[in-house]
Amino acid sequence: MKRRDFLLAGAALPLRASGLGFSLADVTASAGIRFEHNSGAFGAKYLPETLGPGCAFLDYDGDGWLDILLVNGMDWPGHTRRRTTLQLYRNNRNGTFTDVTQQAGLAVEMYGMGVAVADYDNDGFPDVLVTAVGQNRLFRNTGAGRFIDVTEKAGLGGRSAFSTSALWFDFDRDGLLDLFVCNYVKWAPEHDVFCSVDGKRKSYCTPEAYRGATCWLFRNRGNGTFEDVTARSGIFDTSSKSLGVAMLDCDRDGWPDLIVANDTQPNKLYRNRRDGTFEDVAVRAGVAFSEDGKARAGMGIDVADLDGSGAQSIAITNFDGEMMALYQPGAGGAYKDAALSSGVGQPSQNTLGFGCLFFDAGLDGHLDLFAANGHIDETARNLPGKTGYAQAPHLFLNNGRGQFRDVARQAGAAFASPKVARGAAAGDFDNDGDVDLLVTTNQGPACLYRNDVTSGNRSLRLHLRGTRSNRDAIGAVARITTAEGRQSRMVKGGSSYLSQSELALTFGLGRLPRAERLVIEWPSGRVDEHGPLTAGAYECVEGNKPVRR
Amino acid sequence: MLAGLAVTLSAVAVYAGYTIIQLRALRQLQAETIDRNRTDSLLLLRIQNDLNSVDLAMRDMLDNGEPYPLTAWQAQFARLRVDLEDAVSRETQFSPAARADAQRQYLSASVAQFWDALDRIFVLARTDESEARTRIRISLQARQAALSTAVARLLVQNNDNEKQAAAQTRQIYARGERNVYLFLAAILIVLLATGLYLVQYNRRMFEQVAALSERRSELAQQLIAMRENTFRSISRELHDEFGQILTAIGAMLQRAGRRASAVESPLCADLKEVQEIVQSTLDKVRTLSQALHPAALDEAGLEVALQQHLPVFQKQTGIQIAYESSGAGPALDQSVAIHVYRVVQEALNNVARHSKSARAAVRLRYTADCMVLEVEDGGVGMANSGSGTGMGLVSMRERAELVHGNLELLPSESGGVLVRLTVPLAPQEAHV
Repeated sequence: MKRRDFLLAGAALPLRASGLGFSLADVTASAGIRFEHNSGAFGAKYLPETLGPGCAFLDYDGDGWLDILLVNGMDWPGHTRRRTTLQLYRNNRNGTFTDVTQQAGLAVEMYGMGVAVADYDNDGFPDVLVTAVGQNRLFRNTGAGRFIDVTEKAGLGGRSAFSTSALWFDFDRDGLLDLFVCNYVKWAPEHDVFCSVDGKRKSYCTPEAYRGATCWLFRNRGNGTFEDVTARSGIFDTSSKSLGVAMLDCDRDGWPDLIVANDTQPNKLYRNRRDGTFEDVAVRAGVAFSEDGKARAGMGIDVADLDGSGAQSIAITNFDGEMMALYQPGAGGAYKDAALSSGVGQPSQNTLGFGCLFFDAGLDGHLDLFAANGHIDETARNLPGKTGYAQAPHLFLNNGRGQFRDVARQAGAAFASPKVARGAAAGDFDNDGDVDLLVTTNQGPACLYRNDVTSGNRSLRLHLRGTRSNRDAIGAVARITTAEGRQSRMVKGGSSYLSQSELALTFGLGRLPRAERLVIEWPSGRVDEHGPLTAGAYECVEGNKPVRR
Repeated sequence: MLAGLAVTLSAVAVYAGYTIIQLRALRQLQAETIDRNRTDSLLLLRIQNDLNSVDLAMRDMLDNGEPYPLTAWQAQFARLRVDLEDAVSRETQFSPAARADAQRQYLSASVAQFWDALDRIFVLARTDESEARTRIRISLQARQAALSTAVARLLVQNNDNEKQAAAQTRQIYARGERNVYLFLAAILIVLLATGLYLVQYNRRMFEQVAALSERRSELAQQLIAMRENTFRSISRELHDEFGQILTAIGAMLQRAGRRASAVESPLCADLKEVQEIVQSTLDKVRTLSQALHPAALDEAGLEVALQQHLPVFQKQTGIQIAYESSGAGPALDQSVAIHVYRVVQEALNNVARHSKSARAAVRLRYTADCMVLEVEDGGVGMANSGSGTGMGLVSMRERAELVHGNLELLPSESGGVLVRLTVPLAPQEAHV
């Protein structure tokens, strides 16, 4: 064995003795994921090159095993060297995956950025929206292992933009999933401007060099087409430079609200006014700016109920020097950035974060926070005080008392190795009850990290299916009561950065054998209550008793 | 002293009052001018930022680059309007007091006119987008520019105000600094004067105490000397006069007794009895005379007097006395010897009263230039004897001073008390 191979093999070993009760093993190679992101970079340093790509966990064939979709860019026109497309990997149910891109009809060449997955036509199979620089693409899942590009037919064609994250949600609660798309700035190769650090060589521009672009909101008409309600809904805003979006219920009225992370612009918190329109309350709620009133470079975003109270906290990754934000809900609908006091701020002070998501890594009942890091500027490795171009991720372990500590190093050497990471998604691809991670890197591979919970902790996994509500149950809130307290999770589209996690909900039970009570609040307004559920995976159909999978 | 304290306290009170007034002035300046100015500037910057956003939104509207009608911007402007109106309202509240009312009203009135104009343009845009765009270009942008200029002018004014306030603050600090130095100097002077006064006062007090002490010592010594003289005189009278008389009476009685024995035996018995009484009285007179002033001291010197006294003491108290004498020196003057003798008497009395010892030692030795007398007991020591510093000890010290000697009270090796009297043998006479 060569020295390099030995070192790589050692790095891939999980740290059994970490004391965390779980480890994250890099199983990318053994799983057969061979993806290389193509940003198209050829020296012109076009702005979009630094930002992709995204990724998704989805069960496209409905076999109960999560598959993987990886978004790719392409060479710029006039600088074509190779053909790169989206990549879809089917789960072989044995820890390996097979590249089925071609068969699935997704071998489409496009400058892809992000992905949002949901069953918008309620046919039981997840459909895919891929955001792009240029024309976004909507791929409808036929249910026969193939996707069809229905962009034009759905009414989403004829739009060229620099789209980033997107999410499916049912903002009008009509049982049909609507689509929200983030747009970054008004950029096109032909209008690329020259930015430079040293005054001679071109470098990547910051977003200040370009005008913002409004996000889009499309209402699902239920006939396979969408209506642009951007202006009518009050979402229209040409000053935004949006990169991440998450759905939440900030006023706990049962109507989905949205929070949008903007780059160098104030974040937006769109409160759903229940009449098809939204009201931006970000400034009032205290999430628009940092605590010192600065609009930060918001990238990835996620929301979660961290204390079982039902009120959701908001995490946002920012530029290096700005630290992550962890907005915690207070009285009167106002949030307070508790990043510093919770232990998240200081470790993230010098990292540039993108994908971020809450998940219960050790299944102890407390949601932890993962952040994928990596700089946008390759010359950052030479800047004093910076952590480099490739950066280690953060895995903030929640102690259940509002305090976090970064345990990325203890979780796995390969997992903690520095990367130029971007997208991040969570999902239980090996159906062992814990949540695994998928991370993409800019101009690099995608990494699959298998979570191995060694503490003996159990989980309760719920696959929700709406009947009156949208079939994916996006927007549904499940609350469990255990002997140790309460937890709640929302079925969410979007979140993180350019990526889509699985829709199934995972509750960590610790050593407890069961949850004593489960309440599901469906987007339709229906509330189902169920008795004790022992640890395991369940199918929860709206109006029916949970059935073990 | 009291006057100095009063002056110091007054100075502190005056200075504290002055400092409080200065601090209030500084606080008032800070609250009413600096803080208010700063808050106002921050609000003006917020207004400026909103106006810039308004400008950018108008530019986007005129660009015609979005597939949306002009009315799509209404929500964006509505958000800006909420923030801008809130900022203008707060700015009016925090605007510097010196700002003219007209200037204060201009900003809010202009902002209101701007929104009114925009509302009209949105109404117009529903029917004629082209004309609405023209009005944005020729009117709304001009209004925004005028507002922006007004805000910039207010920011400049605030900047000038801040400079003036900073100068005032510097003046207050300079005054305060100067006053601190003055106050410190005044305090130092007062402290120095008070210190000097105290030194002088204490010195006078010590001199008075020393004089009184000396006077008291003189009086005590005179008293002792007078007493010794009196004792000596009475002793001599008793010995010479009453002794002679009683001796003569005794001789006459003896002679009468011899005559009577031949005549009548009862008279003879009576005379015998009277003769015995006279003899007894004579013995008592002699003893009293010896106690008041030992005749041996005058006739044979200190050592003999001691040798006579010690057996008597031993007999009276039952305490065994070991007497030692070493060396030889010139015979002490009577005026000195009586005080040494009295010290020995007092020391032995103390042994009998307090030491609970059955033995004591009296040592007398001569060196080249002094005589040392020691009385040592093997008793319980001073700490356990329960005796205070009574008149006996005072008397011993006074007597030691009368003979220019030194009296020491020391713990003895056996745990008792050692009284040591050192008397110089220089030719000095005691005050007798």
